[in-house]
Amino acid sequence: MSAPNLTALRARQVGALLAGGMVLLATSGCGGSSSSGSSGTPGGTTPTPTPVTNTVTIQAGSETTNQFFNMLLASVTVCVPGTSTCQTIQNVLVDTGSTGLRLLASSLTIALPAVSDAAGSPLGNCATFSGNTYAWGAVATADVQLAGEIASKVPIQIINASGFPTVPEACSVGGTNTDASSLGANGILGVGVTQQDCGSACATAGSGLPPVYFGCPSTGCLAEAVSTQQQVQNPVGLFPQDNNGVVISLPALDASGDASASGQMVFGIGTQTDNALNGVQVYTTDGFGNFSVTFNGSTYSGSFIDTGSNGLFFLNANSLGVPTCPVNTNFYCPSSTVNYSAITTGTNGTANTIAFSIANANTLFNTANTVFNDVGGPNVGGFDLGLPFFFGRTVYVAIEGASTTGGTGPYYAF
Amino acid sequence: MKIIAAVSFLVCASTVPAWAALGQPHESVKFDMQMMKGERATREMPGYSVEEITRGDGAILREFVSPQGHIFGITWQGMTMPNLTQLLGPSADAFQKATQAPRHRGPLSVHVGDLVVETGGHMRAFRVRAYRLDLLPSGISEDVVQ
Repeated sequence: MSAPNLTALRARQVGALLAGGMVLLATSGCGGSSSSGSSGTPGGTTPTPTPVTNTVTIQAGSETTNQFFNMLLASVTVCVPGTSTCQTIQNVLVDTGSTGLRLLASSLTIALPAVSDAAGSPLGNCATFSGNTYAWGAVATADVQLAGEIASKVPIQIINASGFPTVPEACSVGGTNTDASSLGANGILGVGVTQQDCGSACATAGSGLPPVYFGCPSTGCLAEAVSTQQQVQNPVGLFPQDNNGVVISLPALDASGDASASGQMVFGIGTQTDNALNGVQVYTTDGFGNFSVTFNGSTYSGSFIDTGSNGLFFLNANSLGVPTCPVNTNFYCPSSTVNYSAITTGTNGTANTIAFSIANANTLFNTANTVFNDVGGPNVGGFDLGLPFFFGRTVYVAIEGASTTGGTGPYYAF
Repeated sequence: MKIIAAVSFLVCASTVPAWAALGQPHESVKFDMQMMKGERATREMPGYSVEEITRGDGAILREFVSPQGHIFGITWQGMTMPNLTQLLGPSADAFQKATQAPRHRGPLSVHVGDLVVETGGHMRAFRVRAYRLDLLPSGISEDVVQ
């Protein structure tokens, strides 16, 4: 984040401390919050929680000119747990395809308490991504604030934490390290359908332990089992209210894209007047967040929606009959825009037709625009309905096991 | 020649974690089984065979072996991405050079010479498919690598 913002934040913190330490103690929240905590109702009846501000602005585009596109970004405030020592991190990637808050150490100026494993060794976390990138770093805890919502003592990942052991071979996947230049953001806010980044598979020691959590004594980091509570968490699921999912709304775009686009992320589904399930269909998913897409008569069960993917990724050049771009084979480059339709089907059987287009990616990239609804490329295993899918839609992402007015998560609704 | 190749492979195996990889001999599959601590199953198909190693968390590595005894294709599905430097073997350098493209966050589709690598999926559900066109058995399509 930039220096002026830091100065302003510190000024606010000092002001808050001088003006009312009791208020801070009572709400145990972060400095700078504009929300009102629930004050409780005298007389012994169960207090009705006062609705808190549950909406943040999200910005689609690119933080850095001409480097990235279709990045969905938001500001996230983290605090040392139970204190007013806070920092607002701008330009954090909003990612429905992953779970957990991951912040680049280089973007942090406050010291968040590190988590140790059962043996007292520093706990390391490894996240991998389909672009063959990995994020490695320490697990720490923070109070995470988004709008008026505060999740307390959330395990998060500090990517490339200084002084932390170097990445173990089992994490680096032969891939690209996540840093400011490769990420194009200051962190990743994973708000997908799962509550933890790994879940029960990482909580049981044994031969099948995925390389996600590592105990890091001085002798080196080794994969180990970690309870689900200690794992990196979806902060939304830890809010006191509005904690069953998120609603993402982005405006429609023209086929040529735009310089940027501004929308909203609302917390909770059917919990307040601004997040009702109106005019959408609920598509339940499997435990991984996958549902089905049927295209040209074939059904792809490993399909998903993902704000963290910057295109519509499906099939490949041979099976689609559209060439990839001459140099960048990650994208399609048809000679003219092609219109498609497909059927999305939830594990509950809900099915509907979606329409989308694929334009020549090189033509789009040669413009000054950074948001596009018609850029795409190949994907193995199913449809990766990335950020282009979200333009002109309101999309609900319900967390596994969470009750909502539309049923129990995990599901997508749109 | 065969003896020399085997010796050089063992030397390599002593310095880096030994995984079977694209372009390497069939015998190397056993190293993957040890690395993954998984169960191995072999399927004989017309014109090729498939070695499938399943890890306790459900991760599955499939290796497609030609009658000449070379691994011509691999697929992976699992909660994390696999180590592609290891799985791609001699092709890893070409893959690394081809994946430095900016402006991208999403799956990869890499075509370099005879090497094709496709990735996909998301946290907890990743997929990888890779093959070498020059190692495909005669009459066998790359479509069998699934």
